[in-house]
Amino acid sequence: MPLTTQEKRAQLEQVPLFRDCSSEVLDRLAAATAETAFAADALIVQQGQVGNGLYIIVSGGARIVAGSDELTRFGPGDFFGELSVIDQQPRTASAFAMGDTVCLALASWDLLAMLEREPVLAQNMLKELASRLRAADTQLRH
Amino acid sequence: MSTQHSTETSPFPAGEYGVVVVGSGPGGLQVSYYLSRLGIDHAVISADPAPGGMFRRFPFFQRLLSWTKPHAGQAHDTREYERYDFNSLVAAEPGNRAVMPGLMDGTSEFPSRAEMEAGMIEFVRRTGLVVRYDTPWQGTSRDGDLYVLHTPAGDYRTRVPVFTVGAAQPRLPDDIPGIEHAAHYADTREPSSYAGKRLFIMGKANSGFELASGLLQWASPIILASPRPAQLSVNLHSLGGVRARYVQPWEDAELGGGVFILDAATERLERHASGIAVHMRRSDDAEPFVAEVDEVIAATGFTAPLLDLPELGLSTFGRSGLPSMTSSYESVSMPAVYFAGTITQGVSGLKKYGIPANSGAVHGHRYNSRLTVDEIAGRFFDIERPRPAVAADEVVERLLTSASAAPELWHQKSYLAHALSRDPDGTIRDEGIVSLAEYVDAAGPDGAAITIETDDRGSIHPAVYVRRRGRVDTDAVLDESPLTDYRTPEHRAQLQALVVDVLG
Amino acid sequence: MNEAQILDALAGLTLFSDLDRPQLQAVAHTLSEESFPAGQRILRQGFAGSGFFVILEGEVAVRVDGEDVATLGKGDFFGEISLLLGESPVADVVASGSVHALQLAGPDLREFLLAYPVVMYRMLQAVSRRLDRANRRS
Repeated sequence: MPLTTQEKRAQLEQVPLFRDCSSEVLDRLAAATAETAFAADALIVQQGQVGNGLYIIVSGGARIVAGSDELTRFGPGDFFGELSVIDQQPRTASAFAMGDTVCLALASWDLLAMLEREPVLAQNMLKELASRLRAADTQLRH
Repeated sequence: MSTQHSTETSPFPAGEYGVVVVGSGPGGLQVSYYLSRLGIDHAVISADPAPGGMFRRFPFFQRLLSWTKPHAGQAHDTREYERYDFNSLVAAEPGNRAVMPGLMDGTSEFPSRAEMEAGMIEFVRRTGLVVRYDTPWQGTSRDGDLYVLHTPAGDYRTRVPVFTVGAAQPRLPDDIPGIEHAAHYADTREPSSYAGKRLFIMGKANSGFELASGLLQWASPIILASPRPAQLSVNLHSLGGVRARYVQPWEDAELGGGVFILDAATERLERHASGIAVHMRRSDDAEPFVAEVDEVIAATGFTAPLLDLPELGLSTFGRSGLPSMTSSYESVSMPAVYFAGTITQGVSGLKKYGIPANSGAVHGHRYNSRLTVDEIAGRFFDIERPRPAVAADEVVERLLTSASAAPELWHQKSYLAHALSRDPDGTIRDEGIVSLAEYVDAAGPDGAAITIETDDRGSIHPAVYVRRRGRVDTDAVLDESPLTDYRTPEHRAQLQALVVDVLG
Repeated sequence: MNEAQILDALAGLTLFSDLDRPQLQAVAHTLSEESFPAGQRILRQGFAGSGFFVILEGEVAVRVDGEDVATLGKGDFFGEISLLLGESPVADVVASGSVHALQLAGPDLREFLLAYPVVMYRMLQAVSRRLDRANRRS
């Protein structure tokens, strides 16, 4: 059964990326996101394709794979796909559903508009990316 | 080489000297004192007719911001008293210490400008320092290893010039049309001459607020403007920012009393029959804004008067054109050219949490110069710093006593430190007061250095830097102490644990 | 450098390329000008109280456990990752020669970015790219 706008909003409030965002922004996000479901192992985004948006996992999970290397795994509350939105470059990796997975998809232009409107959102995203960067750099050294 | 006899009134004839100090403000006098005590042959030349440097003119509104407490629970002739006296030059002889409390008239813990000037004159008299006055440095050349300083009295030749020329040369912005209608802070007149005038002050740092405070009962309205918001020094936990004595205009603005504080960039000034139109652009919304006033004062800063040194290769940086220097205040681009006094603020040190050191002020740079003179002494005159041996069981007490009372650490927090090190043969040596940045970044023997630091919450505590295998890997802090006495069993235990493997 | 030169230097940096002139002036007055001699560390691995830096002149080496892993130069910035995460730096950044830089106090970065969302966005782009490169290398 598809999620109502209220239910989408409730999901989004749990997502760390949107912590401390204003009520107005959360409402817009709820209206702008589209719920999409994926069967186990289904392809969510394809490496090399032009990116069209960001995905927030509601249930299930995603395996992020570049070439034949698995980079990481994400679960409920995590987001992925942001790099190609921010930088407007082709997808740098593919994402496959781990088990039955439901995501909220946010189109690029909507995300960019939100980032401009809500500095707190931009800062949350910056912190999350910083954290991932530190993890990636640390991994490279070991 | 000159063969003139020197006289009482005109010492240091032109010629060659081991070191030449340029300037007779607090920076130059303090350097000359340290050089004299090490027996290093040097000349001191000054453009002024008498000692005092900037204190012969500034501050305008007559009292300094730095205090000297006559009653501080320490005898005046001790080193420990220096923590409470921001204004005297320092000396090793009890009789030469704490000149200022003896001169101040007791009506305030802040000396007047005249008292500060008198303090410099008295320090010269007591210590027997010699200065050749009315001898301005006017240009520079090089002759092999030697620097040649040109003056009306002839050329002064030296391997080691020490420039203590201050940073009191007015700097006006060069990109504002009509700036010629503005007076610089340095040319501020007698306060009563601003009576009834509409006043615009460019700049919201301390000097802008100092002007606003001093002219508060005379000028109205008073508009202060600069691109970014003002900050109070109590919020910055440092002497940067607007000092407590100059907050009155801020309160006035908050209460709508006729002072206006704006975040705006000045774009141009236009003179009309009815006054000066100040065209600004607000920082928050980029909207243009005009104010009409009678007078404009630019409190936009100062530069160091370095004359032709930049053309000769002196690397400088920033708006103030300060020289780029090492931790002992040598130019990074001109070997053996040193600086002392307020110019030493160009070496920022660790600046943890963005908190600066006090090198721009007398109570900071009077200690910085010791590093300079020690380096000059070792490099050019074969005079090594004493490194007395310390017994292993004295290590912790010595470091904690320093943390509790050493004036160098309290005036230059997180900038100067007290270091002990271990020689290859196991002897522990007292390195004395060192540059903290140099200690943590340069290679050296194993050991530890202690300093005092403030964090971003304003909490003050000792910090310990341990050097092992030539590297300082982390900073460790000891507990706070409400009355800043760190000679407690807890502190001893903490410090012991940190240093036992290198200095145990 | 005089005021105009500093503004021009800032305007030329990608990080500040979306700021208008009054904003650029405010930024120029917010950051402090620092000089570092060769060999001095600007960021110190493991130390508290670090800041955010933008290089105006000179080069720095990024060094982890004694090994140089990168070089940064004019226009590059560093220090933000540690500040965003509230941790101390994981690498030393050492002045290779004499370096002139602009510094923002660590505690001020968060407010600075919120005050200048366009700068935050540029930083987001830069960090994204670095993350992308790091992912590709693994």
